[in-house]
Amino acid sequence: MIELRELRKSYGGVEAVHGVSFTAETGSVLGLLGPNGAGKTTIMKVLTGYHFPSSGKAVVDGLDVEEDPIAVKSRVGYLPESVPLYQDLTVAEYLDFIGDARSLDRPARARAVERSIGACGLEGVYRKKVEELSKGYRQRLGLAQAILHDPPILILDEPTTGLDPNQIIEIRELIKSLGESKTVILSTHILQEVEAICSNVIILNEGRVAAQGAPSEIGKALKGEERIRLRLKAGRGTAEGFDRKSLSGIPGLRSVASFQAESGSVFAAEISMPPADPAAAEVGETIFDWAASSGFKVLELERRRLSLEEIFVKLTSEGDGR
Amino acid sequence: MKNVLAIARREIRSSFNSPVAYAVILGYLLFTGIYLYFIRGFYAVGQADLREYFIIMPLVLAFLVPALTMRSWAEERRLGTYELLLTLPFTEGQLVLGKFLSSFAIAGAAIVLTIPVPLAASALGSFDAGILVTQYLGVLLEAAAAVAVGEWISSLAKNQVSAFVASVLALLCLVLVDRVAGFLGAKGLAAALLNWLSLAFHYDSFSRGVVDTRDLAYYLSASVLFLYLSAWGLTRRKWS
Repeated sequence: MIELRELRKSYGGVEAVHGVSFTAETGSVLGLLGPNGAGKTTIMKVLTGYHFPSSGKAVVDGLDVEEDPIAVKSRVGYLPESVPLYQDLTVAEYLDFIGDARSLDRPARARAVERSIGACGLEGVYRKKVEELSKGYRQRLGLAQAILHDPPILILDEPTTGLDPNQIIEIRELIKSLGESKTVILSTHILQEVEAICSNVIILNEGRVAAQGAPSEIGKALKGEERIRLRLKAGRGTAEGFDRKSLSGIPGLRSVASFQAESGSVFAAEISMPPADPAAAEVGETIFDWAASSGFKVLELERRRLSLEEIFVKLTSEGDGR
Repeated sequence: MKNVLAIARREIRSSFNSPVAYAVILGYLLFTGIYLYFIRGFYAVGQADLREYFIIMPLVLAFLVPALTMRSWAEERRLGTYELLLTLPFTEGQLVLGKFLSSFAIAGAAIVLTIPVPLAASALGSFDAGILVTQYLGVLLEAAAAVAVGEWISSLAKNQVSAFVASVLALLCLVLVDRVAGFLGAKGLAAALLNWLSLAFHYDSFSRGVVDTRDLAYYLSASVLFLYLSAWGLTRRKWS
């Protein structure tokens, strides 16, 4: 379990984190989302005992990071954003050093290394030098290093950067299964990642918590909207005079982001609808009914997810008092 | 101690996986050898005296120790492994000591590997084994202090090159400062102070085969002081 109470951290007079509090329970994966400079990495550095808080408390597995840094460090597995590897060691030598540093005796180290390289798919490069590894393998070796001593706490700073889509899925599965028995905190830029593996999300902006909750709730907290991409095929006669304005017939429509006629009878549009209200009909249903009643066939109907950037634009512009 | 050895082992592995350790050891043997046989003309002088050989060692070490220690912290910063080391369950003291031990072990290996030179020379005349042991003890102590200084400078430096240049300059100053005293004709307290600071001055008695406890204390306290400074810097960083 991890507990952060009113954590503040300044570097040389500049405060990077302004009073952040949260709790991460055992058996959960907490995602820290935020643009660069939001304070994600700083929070992780405090939790791993790399930096001490300027004020506030960070408690990891019941231990205060300032009072008992060595005990905290031995309970934490950490993958820093920079993926720290010794270039002139082989994968085997590197993991052996980590096991040595984690005070694992020889047989325990051998078992831990075997489990770790298996979990991260490193069997093929075991004897290779780190400097010869591709970005994806380096990332996986960094992760193997973090989980080597089977720590109760895992802190992963952007664990899937540099991986190809297949590897991303594998590593996400791995993190998810680790999260069943451990406390995992990870940071990311990617919203889908949070939805795929996190049980809780904290969105950070300029060193403060901007929003927090389960990934499915976070959208609501953002007072967001639904973006829908639509392709319609007009029935006989209905294409006449159909234009951007005609879409305003859709009940509840907020705005039309784009509209174009692909051919005489096929139209593509991107529209924005109010956020889903569980009491009302589903957005797709509303649109489908409208299309049917106006003599259109729905060729494509796709809910476009807000990207993280868009969420941040919203969060930060709301913060400006709009 | 286990942790210290884990760090030292990693460092030594890295050093021998790259050309650094070999280059330093080879460089040391070459420079001291060339100096003895060609510059001082060991055979030409016709005297069975190896003092010249040992006198030059601090100066050679002033160039080669920085080549070992420059990587120590500066390289960790560049690779980002600095963050790894400081989030592994090591105390600052263990980190500093582990790195010191590894550099000292390689410097020590270079020094010990010169033993064949006096052994070969011993065929030419009668050498006192006791003096030889003292001479080696002196070089090793001097190397320990130099490594501690180099490690400390590396812990402050932004990159390897600046760590190397700064360490060479610092060690040259420390080795040569007693000559400045002689050069300036400094007397009394000033001369005593300059001499006392000098890495070479304290080495002098060892090279003559005399173990002076004051010199022993100087080397040991210099090593401890700079190791302590490195550890203190690492600890202070956490709050910055």
